[in-house]
Amino acid sequence: MNPRLFFIGAVILGLIASPARAQFDFNKLTKAIDKAKTITDTAKDASKVAKGAAGIGPEEEKVIGDSVALEVIGKFGGLVRDEDITRRVNLVGRALARYSTRPEHQWRFGVLASETVNAFSAPDGYVFITRGLYDLAATDDQLAGILGHEITHITRHHALNIVRRDEFFSGSKSLLEKYSGDYREANAAVGQVDAQLKQFDVGVGKITTGLIEKGFDQPTEFAADQGGHDLAALTGYAPGGLRSVLVQLQQPGSPTKKTFSTHPPLKERLKRLPDEPAAAPPPPAP
Amino acid sequence: MKNRSMPSAWPLALLLIAAVSVEAALVTGSIVYTKRFKTTLLAEPSPLAAAAGELALGRKLTVTESKGNWLHVSDGPLAGWIFSGNLSTLPPAEAKGLDGLPVAASQTTATAAARGLTPAAADYAGRRGLENARDDLNWLLEQSSNLTDEQVEEFLQEQKKGEYK
Repeated sequence: MNPRLFFIGAVILGLIASPARAQFDFNKLTKAIDKAKTITDTAKDASKVAKGAAGIGPEEEKVIGDSVALEVIGKFGGLVRDEDITRRVNLVGRALARYSTRPEHQWRFGVLASETVNAFSAPDGYVFITRGLYDLAATDDQLAGILGHEITHITRHHALNIVRRDEFFSGSKSLLEKYSGDYREANAAVGQVDAQLKQFDVGVGKITTGLIEKGFDQPTEFAADQGGHDLAALTGYAPGGLRSVLVQLQQPGSPTKKTFSTHPPLKERLKRLPDEPAAAPPPPAP
Repeated sequence: MKNRSMPSAWPLALLLIAAVSVEAALVTGSIVYTKRFKTTLLAEPSPLAAAAGELALGRKLTVTESKGNWLHVSDGPLAGWIFSGNLSTLPPAEAKGLDGLPVAASQTTATAAARGLTPAAADYAGRRGLENARDDLNWLLEQSSNLTDEQVEEFLQEQKKGEYK
């Protein structure tokens, strides 16, 4: 339980169980209730976890995205804190994102300190590529193909489709209705926040597991391959950039373990990507 | 692999591909929309051409001609060229939220503002023992916000990407 909530609950229980109950100070209880309600409201404002019939909007996506990003970073040994590498990934990534369907979004691209070969996207514009894959993507055309794939996952809300909205946010609305009386309402408010937090954590866990253990279903991955290919080409990167990385991974001596473990088999992906140049043609002379 | 989340994902995926690929088979008379807060209408299909107007997010336009990745578009007397990557076949107002409901442009605007880690996510890091990841993420957010839109624009120009290709 959140320590602050535990404290408020303890205050209320203390008031109720106190030997001085006969001299029960209603003002104190009211203050405790107000504080509990404030915490409830704060939690709602911070993560908008209970909007009733309203949809999950950008504010919720931010909280979910941040939380999933934390999990991804935590599970892959942290971030590579190299400013040059991070700048390169962000320049290429933001160049691509500018022509995506969410050009005005805040996009963040990071390199995970892991030698595995993989890339992930989290809601709200987070894209992560492992150091192992980054080192394979020698050219910006190849990097653009990889990042374009992940950008497509985000613009099409693939990660957030892993869990239904009601899995994230249901079940806590009616808690208050089960109680009557002021102090019961206060306890219910505390319980409501706790239930919402637990439910939120479960939802984030589901998305994280879906992203880094199970991966998306194959049609979703093939659609992201195609979307990334189109986005890279539209931006002016070689359309064969992603394909060339996948081909490289098929060569003898390339890392075979933990390579795109959350993606469809390489040969299936290669079948669907046209064999196109892996390097953009030089720009015409001025 | 087990199909978990979208049993009928293929038709949806194909529809989305068709919807977002502005370049693909846009013919004269097609309807497109601006997708950035500010889009410059140009007198010629070149980023260096004179401005013929400035359009706000979600402006509905009709394609009247195409030349490579550039589209000549009009809305009544207003006409000019825009790089196809700066247009969408879907109006921003119809961009869907997680529940399938439209996401308002005002929400999109709010989303775009540079920000740090949300307080709720910082709490999440504490609950889950992810303090190191939180520090890394804050570092990444700082690095990202240090890279300005102007620097990305310069990069596009130098690398001859997007409308500069």
